[in-house]
Amino acid sequence: MNKRILVLENGEVFKGRGFGSTKETIGEVVFNTGMTGYQESITDQSYNGQLLTFTYPLIGNAGINRDDHESIFPTTRAVIVKEYARRPSNWRSQMNLDEFLKEKDIPGLAGVDTRKLTRIIREYGAMKAILTDAHKNIPDLLKQLKEVRLPSNQVAQVSTTTPYVSPQKGRRVIVVDYGLKHSILHELNKRDCHVTVLPHDTQAETILNLKPDGVMLTNGPGDPKDLPEAHDMIRQIQPHIPIFGICLGHQLIALANGADTFKMAFGHRGFNHPVREIATGRIDFTSQNHGYAVDELSLNKENLRVTHVEINDGTVEGLRHRRYPVFSVQYHPDAAPGPHDGAELFDQFVESMDAWKENRNNA
Amino acid sequence: MQNKQSIEVVNEDAIRRTLTRMTYEIIERNKGIEKLVLAGIQTRGAVLARRIARRITELEGVSVEVVDLDTRPYRDDSDGEFTLEPAEAAKINTVDQKRVVIVDDVLYTGRTIRAALDALTDQGRPEKIILAVLIDRGNRELPIRADVVGKNLPTSQEERIQVCLSETDGKECVNIVK
Repeated sequence: MNKRILVLENGEVFKGRGFGSTKETIGEVVFNTGMTGYQESITDQSYNGQLLTFTYPLIGNAGINRDDHESIFPTTRAVIVKEYARRPSNWRSQMNLDEFLKEKDIPGLAGVDTRKLTRIIREYGAMKAILTDAHKNIPDLLKQLKEVRLPSNQVAQVSTTTPYVSPQKGRRVIVVDYGLKHSILHELNKRDCHVTVLPHDTQAETILNLKPDGVMLTNGPGDPKDLPEAHDMIRQIQPHIPIFGICLGHQLIALANGADTFKMAFGHRGFNHPVREIATGRIDFTSQNHGYAVDELSLNKENLRVTHVEINDGTVEGLRHRRYPVFSVQYHPDAAPGPHDGAELFDQFVESMDAWKENRNNA
Repeated sequence: MQNKQSIEVVNEDAIRRTLTRMTYEIIERNKGIEKLVLAGIQTRGAVLARRIARRITELEGVSVEVVDLDTRPYRDDSDGEFTLEPAEAAKINTVDQKRVVIVDDVLYTGRTIRAALDALTDQGRPEKIILAVLIDRGNRELPIRADVVGKNLPTSQEERIQVCLSETDGKECVNIVK
Protein backbone atom coordinates (compact mmCIF):
# COMPACT_ATOMS: atom_id res chain seq x y z
CA MET A 1 0.00 0.00 0.00
CA ASN A 2 1.45 3.34 -0.98
CA LYS A 3 1.19 6.02 1.64
CA ARG A 4 -0.47 9.18 0.43
CA ILE A 5 -1.65 12.43 1.92
CA LEU A 6 -4.46 14.88 1.42
CA VAL A 7 -3.46 18.47 2.14
CA LEU A 8 -6.19 21.06 2.54
CA GLU A 9 -5.80 24.73 1.75
CA ASN A 10 -6.16 25.60 5.44
CA GLY A 11 -3.11 23.48 6.30
CA GLU A 12 -4.94 20.42 7.56
CA VAL A 13 -3.26 17.13 6.52
CA PHE A 14 -4.88 13.70 6.29
CA LYS A 15 -2.73 10.59 5.92
CA GLY A 16 -4.07 7.55 4.20
CA ARG A 17 -3.43 4.72 1.78
CA GLY A 18 -3.72 5.28 -1.91
CA PHE A 19 -5.78 3.12 -4.23
CA GLY A 20 -7.01 3.50 -7.78
CA SER A 21 -4.79 5.67 -9.92
CA THR A 22 -1.47 6.80 -8.46
CA LYS A 23 -1.38 10.26 -10.02
CA GLU A 24 -1.27 13.52 -8.10
CA THR A 25 -4.40 15.61 -8.21
CA ILE A 26 -5.73 19.01 -7.16
CA GLY A 27 -9.32 20.09 -6.86
CA GLU A 28 -12.09 21.29 -4.61
CA VAL A 29 -12.77 18.85 -1.79
CA VAL A 30 -16.49 18.20 -1.20
CA PHE A 31 -18.45 15.61 0.74
CA ASN A 32 -21.40 13.42 -0.08
CA THR A 33 -23.61 12.10 2.71
CA GLY A 34 -25.25 9.28 0.76
CA MET A 35 -25.04 5.79 2.19
CA THR A 36 -25.31 4.12 -1.21
CA GLY A 37 -24.92 5.02 -4.84
CA TYR A 38 -21.18 5.60 -4.89
CA GLN A 39 -20.96 4.36 -8.46
CA GLU A 40 -23.53 6.86 -9.71
CA SER A 41 -21.90 9.65 -7.71
CA ILE A 42 -18.37 8.96 -8.94
CA THR A 43 -19.60 8.93 -12.53
CA ASP A 44 -21.80 12.04 -12.07
CA GLN A 45 -20.24 14.82 -14.16
CA SER A 46 -21.40 17.41 -11.65
CA TYR A 47 -18.41 16.27 -9.58
CA ASN A 48 -16.04 17.37 -12.32
CA GLY A 49 -12.84 18.76 -10.83
CA GLN A 50 -13.79 17.80 -7.29
CA LEU A 51 -12.26 15.48 -4.73
CA LEU A 52 -15.28 13.50 -3.62
CA THR A 53 -15.42 12.45 0.02
CA PHE A 54 -17.93 9.87 1.22
CA THR A 55 -19.05 10.27 4.81
CA TYR A 56 -20.41 6.73 4.85
CA PRO A 57 -17.55 4.62 6.26
CA LEU A 58 -17.52 1.66 3.87
CA ILE A 59 -17.63 2.29 0.15
CA GLY A 60 -17.48 -0.22 -2.67
CA ASN A 61 -19.07 -3.25 -1.07
CA ALA A 62 -21.40 -3.84 -4.01
CA GLY A 63 -18.58 -3.38 -6.49
CA ILE A 64 -19.04 -1.66 -9.81
CA ASN A 65 -21.66 -2.92 -12.23
CA ARG A 66 -22.33 -2.13 -15.86
CA ASP A 67 -25.81 -0.68 -15.31
CA ASP A 68 -25.28 2.23 -12.97
CA HIS A 69 -22.80 4.41 -14.81
CA GLU A 70 -23.99 7.99 -15.20
CA SER A 71 -21.30 8.88 -17.74
CA ILE A 72 -18.78 7.00 -19.85
CA PHE A 73 -15.76 9.09 -18.92
CA PRO A 74 -16.17 10.28 -15.35
CA THR A 75 -14.15 13.36 -14.43
CA THR A 76 -14.33 13.27 -10.65
CA ARG A 77 -10.81 14.18 -9.51
CA ALA A 78 -10.48 11.80 -6.58
CA VAL A 79 -12.43 9.52 -4.26
CA ILE A 80 -11.81 9.77 -0.52
CA VAL A 81 -13.16 7.07 1.76
CA LYS A 82 -12.76 5.67 5.23
CA GLU A 83 -12.49 2.15 3.94
CA TYR A 84 -13.04 0.62 0.52
CA ALA A 85 -14.16 -2.92 -0.08
CA ARG A 86 -11.50 -4.96 -1.84
CA ARG A 87 -13.81 -7.90 -2.34
CA PRO A 88 -17.28 -6.74 -3.35
CA SER A 89 -20.28 -8.96 -2.97
CA ASN A 90 -23.15 -8.40 -5.36
CA TRP A 91 -24.53 -10.43 -8.22
CA ARG A 92 -24.20 -7.49 -10.60
CA SER A 93 -20.63 -6.63 -9.64
CA GLN A 94 -18.12 -6.64 -12.49
CA MET A 95 -15.08 -5.31 -10.67
CA ASN A 96 -14.08 -3.71 -7.42
CA LEU A 97 -13.77 0.00 -6.78
CA ASP A 98 -9.97 -0.07 -6.90
CA GLU A 99 -9.93 -1.66 -10.36
CA PHE A 100 -12.53 0.77 -11.60
CA LEU A 101 -10.65 3.85 -10.41
CA LYS A 102 -7.44 2.49 -11.94
CA GLU A 103 -9.21 2.00 -15.25
CA LYS A 104 -10.66 5.54 -15.17
CA ASP A 105 -7.39 7.01 -13.87
CA ILE A 106 -9.01 8.47 -10.76
CA PRO A 107 -6.91 8.43 -7.59
CA GLY A 108 -8.44 7.17 -4.36
CA LEU A 109 -7.50 7.69 -0.74
CA ALA A 110 -8.53 5.29 2.02
CA GLY A 111 -8.04 5.28 5.75
CA VAL A 112 -9.15 8.88 6.16
CA ASP A 113 -11.53 9.91 8.92
CA THR A 114 -13.99 11.26 6.40
CA ARG A 115 -16.39 12.50 9.06
CA LYS A 116 -13.70 14.67 10.60
CA LEU A 117 -12.86 15.93 7.11
CA THR A 118 -16.55 16.70 6.62
CA ARG A 119 -16.72 18.68 9.85
CA ILE A 120 -13.77 20.74 8.68
CA ILE A 121 -15.44 21.43 5.33
CA ARG A 122 -18.67 22.33 7.11
CA GLU A 123 -16.76 24.80 9.27
CA TYR A 124 -14.40 26.36 6.74
CA GLY A 125 -16.40 25.80 3.54
CA ALA A 126 -15.43 23.80 0.48
CA MET A 127 -11.77 24.42 -0.30
CA LYS A 128 -8.94 23.40 -2.56
CA ALA A 129 -6.96 20.31 -1.68
CA ILE A 130 -4.17 18.24 -3.11
CA LEU A 131 -3.87 14.46 -3.02
CA THR A 132 -0.29 13.28 -3.44
CA ASP A 133 2.48 10.97 -2.19
CA ALA A 134 3.26 11.14 1.53
CA HIS A 135 6.95 11.99 1.21
CA LYS A 136 6.36 15.44 -0.29
CA ASN A 137 7.13 18.62 1.58
CA ILE A 138 3.94 20.05 3.04
CA PRO A 139 4.83 23.80 2.98
CA ASP A 140 5.67 23.44 -0.71
CA LEU A 141 2.36 21.73 -1.34
CA LEU A 142 0.48 24.48 0.48
CA LYS A 143 2.23 27.09 -1.61
CA GLN A 144 1.32 25.17 -4.76
CA LEU A 145 -2.29 24.95 -3.58
CA LYS A 146 -2.50 28.69 -2.97
CA GLU A 147 -1.21 29.45 -6.43
CA VAL A 148 -3.30 27.02 -8.43
CA ARG A 149 -6.40 28.35 -10.10
CA LEU A 150 -9.13 25.81 -10.69
CA PRO A 151 -10.50 25.78 -14.24
CA SER A 152 -13.74 27.61 -15.00
CA ASN A 153 -14.52 25.80 -18.25
CA GLN A 154 -15.82 22.72 -16.48
CA VAL A 155 -18.99 22.42 -18.54
CA ALA A 156 -16.98 22.50 -21.76
CA GLN A 157 -14.88 19.65 -20.37
CA VAL A 158 -17.82 17.35 -19.76
CA SER A 159 -20.43 18.34 -22.35
CA THR A 160 -20.72 16.37 -25.55
CA THR A 161 -19.11 18.07 -28.53
CA THR A 162 -21.34 16.47 -31.14
CA PRO A 163 -25.13 16.07 -31.08
CA TYR A 164 -26.62 12.60 -30.78
CA VAL A 165 -30.03 11.07 -30.31
CA SER A 166 -31.47 8.68 -27.80
CA PRO A 167 -34.34 7.42 -29.92
CA GLN A 168 -37.82 6.58 -28.78
CA LYS A 169 -41.24 7.00 -30.33
CA GLY A 170 -43.13 10.05 -29.16
CA ARG A 171 -42.48 13.62 -28.13
CA ARG A 172 -39.42 15.41 -29.45
CA VAL A 173 -37.32 16.61 -26.58
CA ILE A 174 -34.03 18.45 -26.75
CA VAL A 175 -31.58 17.94 -23.94
CA VAL A 176 -28.86 20.56 -23.66
CA ASP A 177 -25.88 18.73 -22.16
CA TYR A 178 -24.08 20.63 -19.42
CA GLY A 179 -22.81 17.35 -17.95
CA LEU A 180 -25.81 15.09 -18.17
CA LYS A 181 -26.41 11.91 -16.26
CA HIS A 182 -27.53 8.93 -18.31
CA SER A 183 -30.47 8.46 -15.99
CA ILE A 184 -31.98 11.67 -17.40
CA LEU A 185 -32.08 10.12 -20.86
CA HIS A 186 -33.44 6.96 -19.34
CA GLU A 187 -36.26 8.80 -17.55
CA LEU A 188 -37.20 10.72 -20.71
CA ASN A 189 -37.07 7.67 -22.97
CA LYS A 190 -39.21 5.77 -20.50
CA ARG A 191 -41.88 8.47 -20.86
CA ASP A 192 -42.02 8.23 -24.65
CA CYS A 193 -39.68 11.07 -25.45
CA HIS A 194 -37.36 10.99 -28.43
CA VAL A 195 -34.31 12.78 -27.11
CA THR A 196 -31.81 14.83 -29.07
CA VAL A 197 -28.76 15.73 -27.01
CA LEU A 198 -27.01 18.94 -28.02
CA PRO A 199 -23.70 20.46 -26.86
CA HIS A 200 -23.70 23.11 -24.13
CA ASP A 201 -22.94 25.98 -26.52
CA THR A 202 -25.84 25.31 -28.91
CA GLN A 203 -27.48 28.49 -30.22
CA ALA A 204 -31.14 29.28 -29.60
CA GLU A 205 -31.80 29.29 -33.34
CA THR A 206 -30.57 25.71 -33.73
CA ILE A 207 -32.89 24.57 -30.97
CA LEU A 208 -35.94 26.39 -32.30
CA ASN A 209 -35.31 25.14 -35.83
CA LEU A 210 -35.58 21.58 -34.60
CA LYS A 211 -39.16 22.39 -33.49
CA PRO A 212 -39.07 20.36 -30.29
CA ASP A 213 -41.97 19.79 -27.90
CA GLY A 214 -39.76 20.71 -24.98
CA VAL A 215 -36.22 21.49 -23.91
CA MET A 216 -34.45 20.11 -20.90
CA LEU A 217 -31.40 21.77 -19.36
CA THR A 218 -29.29 19.27 -17.46
CA ASN A 219 -27.19 19.22 -14.35
CA GLY A 220 -23.52 20.05 -14.62
CA PRO A 221 -20.43 21.18 -12.79
CA GLY A 222 -19.11 24.59 -11.87
CA ASP A 223 -20.35 28.14 -11.62
CA PRO A 224 -23.46 28.98 -13.68
CA LYS A 225 -22.05 32.47 -14.26
CA ASP A 226 -19.29 30.98 -16.40
CA LEU A 227 -21.89 30.33 -19.13
CA PRO A 228 -23.23 33.71 -20.30
CA GLU A 229 -24.06 32.32 -23.78
CA ALA A 230 -26.43 29.84 -22.13
CA HIS A 231 -28.30 32.70 -20.43
CA ASP A 232 -28.86 34.34 -23.81
CA MET A 233 -29.96 31.07 -25.33
CA ILE A 234 -32.54 30.54 -22.56
CA ARG A 235 -33.88 34.08 -22.88
CA GLN A 236 -34.40 33.52 -26.58
CA ILE A 237 -36.16 30.16 -26.40
CA GLN A 238 -38.27 30.54 -23.25
CA PRO A 239 -41.15 32.47 -24.84
CA HIS A 240 -41.56 29.73 -27.42
CA ILE A 241 -41.13 26.40 -25.75
CA PRO A 242 -41.60 24.51 -22.45
CA ILE A 243 -38.32 24.23 -20.55
CA PHE A 244 -37.40 22.01 -17.64
CA GLY A 245 -34.13 22.69 -15.86
CA ILE A 246 -32.41 20.70 -13.16
CA CYS A 247 -29.43 21.63 -11.02
CA LEU A 248 -27.13 23.75 -13.19
CA GLY A 249 -30.01 24.15 -15.66
CA HIS A 250 -32.10 25.57 -12.83
CA GLN A 251 -29.40 28.10 -11.95
CA LEU A 252 -29.04 29.09 -15.60
CA ILE A 253 -32.79 29.74 -15.87
CA ALA A 254 -32.56 31.95 -12.77
CA LEU A 255 -29.62 33.92 -14.17
CA ALA A 256 -31.29 34.26 -17.56
CA ASN A 257 -34.26 35.89 -15.83
CA GLY A 258 -32.33 38.44 -13.85
CA ALA A 259 -31.77 36.55 -10.61
CA ASP A 260 -28.40 36.02 -8.96
CA THR A 261 -26.59 32.88 -7.78
CA PHE A 262 -24.01 32.45 -5.05
CA LYS A 263 -21.49 29.86 -3.99
CA MET A 264 -22.63 28.01 -0.91
CA ALA A 265 -20.27 27.33 1.98
CA PHE A 266 -20.35 23.58 1.52
CA GLY A 267 -23.26 22.83 -0.78
CA HIS A 268 -25.84 20.07 -0.74
CA ARG A 269 -24.55 16.66 -1.68
CA GLY A 270 -26.49 13.63 -0.61
CA PHE A 271 -29.89 12.01 -0.80
CA ASN A 272 -31.59 13.12 2.37
CA HIS A 273 -32.45 16.72 1.62
CA PRO A 274 -36.09 17.44 2.46
CA VAL A 275 -37.75 19.81 0.02
CA ARG A 276 -41.19 21.36 0.40
CA GLU A 277 -43.44 22.05 -2.54
CA ILE A 278 -45.02 25.35 -1.57
CA ALA A 279 -48.32 24.93 -3.41
CA THR A 280 -49.28 21.67 -1.74
CA GLY A 281 -47.05 21.54 1.34
CA ARG A 282 -45.83 18.14 0.23
CA ILE A 283 -42.34 17.10 1.37
CA ASP A 284 -40.06 15.16 -0.93
CA PHE A 285 -36.75 13.66 0.02
CA THR A 286 -34.40 14.53 -2.75
CA SER A 287 -31.07 13.66 -4.25
CA GLN A 288 -28.91 16.75 -4.48
CA ASN A 289 -25.53 17.75 -5.75
CA HIS A 290 -24.95 21.47 -5.91
CA GLY A 291 -22.38 23.92 -4.60
CA TYR A 292 -24.13 27.02 -5.94
CA ALA A 293 -27.64 28.22 -5.23
CA VAL A 294 -30.12 30.83 -6.41
CA ASP A 295 -30.33 33.91 -4.19
CA GLU A 296 -33.96 34.28 -3.21
CA LEU A 297 -33.70 38.03 -2.53
CA SER A 298 -32.38 38.66 -6.02
CA LEU A 299 -35.36 37.03 -7.73
CA ASN A 300 -37.31 39.27 -10.00
CA LYS A 301 -40.79 38.56 -8.71
CA GLU A 302 -42.28 39.69 -12.01
CA ASN A 303 -40.55 36.84 -13.77
CA LEU A 304 -39.98 33.97 -11.44
CA ARG A 305 -41.82 32.33 -8.60
CA VAL A 306 -40.26 30.07 -5.97
CA THR A 307 -42.05 26.72 -6.00
CA HIS A 308 -39.83 24.56 -3.78
CA VAL A 309 -37.64 25.27 -0.75
CA GLU A 310 -35.14 23.20 1.22
CA ILE A 311 -36.42 22.79 4.75
CA ASN A 312 -33.11 22.82 6.65
CA ASP A 313 -31.63 26.03 5.32
CA GLY A 314 -34.37 27.58 3.19
CA THR A 315 -32.44 27.36 -0.09
CA VAL A 316 -34.47 27.95 -3.25
CA GLU A 317 -34.98 24.48 -4.73
CA GLY A 318 -37.56 25.10 -7.42
CA LEU A 319 -38.62 27.93 -9.73
CA ARG A 320 -41.34 28.59 -12.22
CA HIS A 321 -41.65 31.36 -14.74
CA ARG A 322 -44.70 33.55 -14.34
CA ARG A 323 -45.47 33.91 -18.03
CA TYR A 324 -43.77 31.07 -19.86
CA PRO A 325 -44.03 27.30 -19.43
CA VAL A 326 -40.63 27.17 -17.77
CA PHE A 327 -39.89 25.40 -14.50
CA SER A 328 -36.85 24.04 -12.77
CA VAL A 329 -35.60 22.30 -9.66
CA GLN A 330 -32.25 22.47 -7.96
CA TYR A 331 -32.29 18.79 -7.03
CA HIS A 332 -31.89 15.68 -9.17
CA PRO A 333 -35.30 14.17 -9.90
CA ASP A 334 -33.69 11.34 -11.86
CA ALA A 335 -32.64 10.02 -8.46
CA ALA A 336 -29.48 8.29 -9.57
CA PRO A 337 -28.57 7.71 -6.88
CA GLY A 338 -31.18 8.62 -4.32
CA PRO A 339 -34.84 8.51 -3.34
CA HIS A 340 -37.39 8.41 -6.14
CA ASP A 341 -39.74 11.03 -4.66
CA GLY A 342 -38.82 13.59 -7.27
CA ALA A 343 -39.13 11.34 -10.34
CA GLU A 344 -42.62 12.66 -11.00
CA LEU A 345 -41.12 15.96 -12.14
CA PHE A 346 -40.44 14.19 -15.40
CA ASP A 347 -44.15 13.38 -15.54
CA GLN A 348 -44.83 17.04 -14.87
CA PHE A 349 -42.52 18.00 -17.73
CA VAL A 350 -44.28 15.61 -20.08
CA GLU A 351 -47.69 16.90 -18.96
CA SER A 352 -46.71 20.50 -19.46
CA MET A 353 -45.38 19.72 -22.94
CA ASP A 354 -48.71 18.08 -23.78
CA ALA A 355 -50.74 20.91 -22.27
CA TRP A 356 -48.68 23.50 -24.09
CA LYS A 357 -49.12 21.69 -27.39
CA GLU A 358 -52.85 21.40 -26.82
CA ASN A 359 -53.15 25.11 -25.97
CA ARG A 360 -51.22 26.07 -29.05
CA ASN A 361 -53.44 23.91 -31.25
CA ASN A 362 -56.58 25.44 -29.77
CA ALA A 363 -55.39 29.01 -29.91
CA MET B 1 -76.35 -7.15 -15.83
CA GLN B 2 -73.26 -6.82 -17.89
CA ASN B 3 -69.91 -6.75 -16.23
CA LYS B 4 -68.56 -3.24 -16.38
CA GLN B 5 -64.92 -2.72 -16.98
CA SER B 6 -63.20 0.07 -15.12
CA ILE B 7 -59.72 1.26 -16.02
CA GLU B 8 -57.81 3.72 -13.88
CA VAL B 9 -56.29 6.34 -16.17
CA VAL B 10 -55.21 8.99 -13.67
CA ASN B 11 -53.87 8.13 -10.24
CA GLU B 12 -53.67 10.07 -7.00
CA ASP B 13 -50.22 11.55 -7.67
CA ALA B 14 -51.21 12.68 -11.14
CA ILE B 15 -54.35 14.40 -9.82
CA ARG B 16 -52.29 16.33 -7.28
CA ARG B 17 -49.68 17.27 -9.87
CA THR B 18 -52.28 18.28 -12.42
CA LEU B 19 -54.16 20.49 -9.96
CA THR B 20 -50.91 22.21 -9.07
CA ARG B 21 -50.16 22.90 -12.71
CA MET B 22 -53.73 24.13 -13.29
CA THR B 23 -53.30 26.48 -10.30
CA TYR B 24 -50.20 28.01 -11.86
CA GLU B 25 -51.96 28.35 -15.20
CA ILE B 26 -54.97 30.05 -13.60
CA ILE B 27 -52.72 32.57 -11.85
CA GLU B 28 -50.67 33.12 -15.00
CA ARG B 29 -53.78 33.59 -17.15
CA ASN B 30 -55.14 36.18 -14.76
CA LYS B 31 -51.78 37.88 -14.37
CA GLY B 32 -52.26 37.66 -10.61
CA ILE B 33 -55.14 36.87 -8.32
CA GLU B 34 -56.80 40.25 -8.06
CA LYS B 35 -60.57 40.11 -8.41
CA LEU B 36 -60.37 36.32 -8.76
CA VAL B 37 -63.36 34.20 -7.78
CA LEU B 38 -63.34 30.42 -8.05
CA ALA B 39 -66.78 29.02 -8.82
CA GLY B 40 -66.83 25.25 -8.35
CA ILE B 41 -69.70 23.33 -9.88
CA GLN B 42 -71.20 20.97 -7.31
CA THR B 43 -70.17 18.43 -6.24
CA ARG B 44 -66.68 17.58 -7.38
CA GLY B 45 -66.00 20.86 -9.12
CA ALA B 46 -66.57 22.55 -5.77
CA VAL B 47 -64.06 20.21 -4.14
CA LEU B 48 -61.50 20.94 -6.85
CA ALA B 49 -62.12 24.69 -6.57
CA ARG B 50 -61.36 24.55 -2.86
CA ARG B 51 -58.16 22.60 -3.47
CA ILE B 52 -57.01 25.09 -6.08
CA ALA B 53 -57.87 27.93 -3.69
CA ARG B 54 -55.71 26.31 -0.99
CA ARG B 55 -52.77 26.17 -3.39
CA ILE B 56 -53.24 29.79 -4.38
CA THR B 57 -53.23 30.77 -0.70
CA GLU B 58 -49.98 28.86 -0.15
CA LEU B 59 -48.35 30.44 -3.18
CA GLU B 60 -49.58 34.00 -2.93
CA GLY B 61 -50.24 34.32 0.78
CA VAL B 62 -53.70 35.71 0.06
CA SER B 63 -56.96 33.80 0.11
CA VAL B 64 -59.30 33.88 -2.85
CA GLU B 65 -63.06 33.77 -2.82
CA VAL B 66 -64.60 30.35 -3.51
CA VAL B 67 -68.25 29.79 -4.22
CA ASP B 68 -70.27 26.66 -4.92
CA LEU B 69 -72.27 26.77 -8.09
CA ASP B 70 -75.47 24.76 -8.33
CA THR B 71 -76.44 24.58 -11.97
CA ARG B 72 -79.56 22.44 -11.61
CA PRO B 73 -82.12 25.26 -11.93
CA TYR B 74 -80.52 26.32 -15.19
CA ARG B 75 -80.16 22.95 -16.84
CA ASP B 76 -81.92 22.37 -20.15
CA ASP B 77 -82.60 18.72 -19.31
CA SER B 78 -84.14 19.08 -15.85
CA ASP B 79 -87.70 18.04 -15.19
CA GLY B 80 -88.70 21.33 -13.66
CA GLU B 81 -88.56 20.25 -10.01
CA PHE B 82 -86.04 22.76 -8.76
CA THR B 83 -84.91 22.51 -5.23
CA LEU B 84 -83.89 26.13 -5.01
CA GLU B 85 -84.57 29.46 -6.55
CA PRO B 86 -82.28 30.46 -9.42
CA ALA B 87 -80.96 33.42 -7.48
CA GLU B 88 -79.59 31.11 -4.81
CA ALA B 89 -77.66 29.02 -7.26
CA ALA B 90 -74.46 30.91 -6.80
CA LYS B 91 -74.03 32.50 -3.43
CA ILE B 92 -71.79 35.26 -4.63
CA ASN B 93 -72.25 38.71 -3.21
CA THR B 94 -71.63 40.10 -6.61
CA VAL B 95 -69.84 38.83 -9.65
CA ASP B 96 -69.79 42.29 -11.13
CA GLN B 97 -66.28 43.23 -12.25
CA LYS B 98 -64.90 39.92 -10.97
CA ARG B 99 -62.76 37.45 -12.87
CA VAL B 100 -64.56 34.19 -12.40
CA VAL B 101 -62.99 30.79 -12.90
CA ILE B 102 -65.56 28.06 -13.36
CA VAL B 103 -64.08 24.81 -12.03
CA ASP B 104 -65.47 21.40 -12.87
CA ASP B 105 -64.22 17.83 -12.88
CA VAL B 106 -65.25 16.66 -16.35
CA LEU B 107 -66.05 18.64 -19.47
CA TYR B 108 -68.24 16.61 -21.80
CA THR B 109 -71.22 17.99 -23.76
CA GLY B 110 -70.75 21.51 -22.45
CA ARG B 111 -74.33 21.72 -21.21
CA THR B 112 -73.38 22.02 -17.55
CA ILE B 113 -71.04 24.86 -18.37
CA ARG B 114 -73.75 26.64 -20.34
CA ALA B 115 -75.99 26.38 -17.30
CA ALA B 116 -73.16 27.66 -15.10
CA LEU B 117 -72.68 30.64 -17.40
CA ASP B 118 -76.38 31.41 -17.07
CA ALA B 119 -76.21 31.09 -13.31
CA LEU B 120 -73.27 33.49 -13.18
CA THR B 121 -74.60 36.08 -15.57
CA ASP B 122 -77.89 36.13 -13.66
CA GLN B 123 -75.89 37.57 -10.77
CA GLY B 124 -74.26 40.37 -12.66
CA ARG B 125 -71.64 41.08 -15.26
CA PRO B 126 -68.27 39.48 -14.56
CA GLU B 127 -65.28 41.16 -16.10
CA LYS B 128 -64.18 37.81 -17.42
CA ILE B 129 -65.10 34.15 -17.10
CA ILE B 130 -62.69 31.32 -17.78
CA LEU B 131 -63.18 27.58 -17.52
CA ALA B 132 -60.86 25.13 -15.79
CA VAL B 133 -61.56 21.40 -15.91
CA LEU B 134 -59.67 18.41 -14.62
CA ILE B 135 -60.68 16.17 -17.51
CA ASP B 136 -61.75 17.14 -21.02
CA ARG B 137 -63.34 14.08 -22.58
CA GLY B 138 -64.47 15.64 -25.85
CA ASN B 139 -67.89 15.03 -27.52
CA ARG B 140 -69.12 18.58 -27.16
CA GLU B 141 -72.70 19.47 -28.08
CA LEU B 142 -72.25 23.21 -27.60
CA PRO B 143 -69.55 25.65 -28.76
CA ILE B 144 -67.73 25.66 -25.43
CA ARG B 145 -64.07 25.03 -24.67
CA ALA B 146 -61.92 25.00 -21.54
CA ASP B 147 -59.12 27.51 -20.94
CA VAL B 148 -57.22 25.38 -18.43
CA VAL B 149 -57.30 21.62 -18.94
CA GLY B 150 -55.82 19.07 -16.57
CA LYS B 151 -55.89 16.16 -18.93
CA ASN B 152 -57.42 15.45 -22.32
CA LEU B 153 -59.03 12.03 -22.41
CA PRO B 154 -60.66 11.42 -25.77
CA THR B 155 -63.52 9.00 -25.16
CA SER B 156 -66.49 7.53 -26.96
CA GLN B 157 -70.04 8.26 -25.87
CA GLU B 158 -70.46 4.68 -24.67
CA GLU B 159 -67.73 5.20 -22.09
CA ARG B 160 -68.14 6.97 -18.81
CA ILE B 161 -65.56 8.98 -16.89
CA GLN B 162 -65.59 8.47 -13.17
CA VAL B 163 -63.72 11.01 -11.07
CA CYS B 164 -63.18 9.96 -7.47
CA LEU B 165 -61.96 12.50 -4.92
CA SER B 166 -61.18 11.73 -1.32
CA GLU B 167 -63.67 14.30 0.04
CA THR B 168 -66.61 12.77 -1.82
CA ASP B 169 -65.58 9.21 -2.67
CA GLY B 170 -62.89 8.30 -0.19
CA LYS B 171 -60.29 7.71 -2.89
CA GLU B 172 -58.40 9.61 -5.55
CA CYS B 173 -58.51 8.43 -9.13
CA VAL B 174 -60.04 8.92 -12.56
CA ASN B 175 -61.48 5.82 -14.21
CA ILE B 176 -62.87 5.06 -17.63
CA VAL B 177 -65.84 2.76 -17.25
CA LYS B 178 -67.04 0.76 -20.23
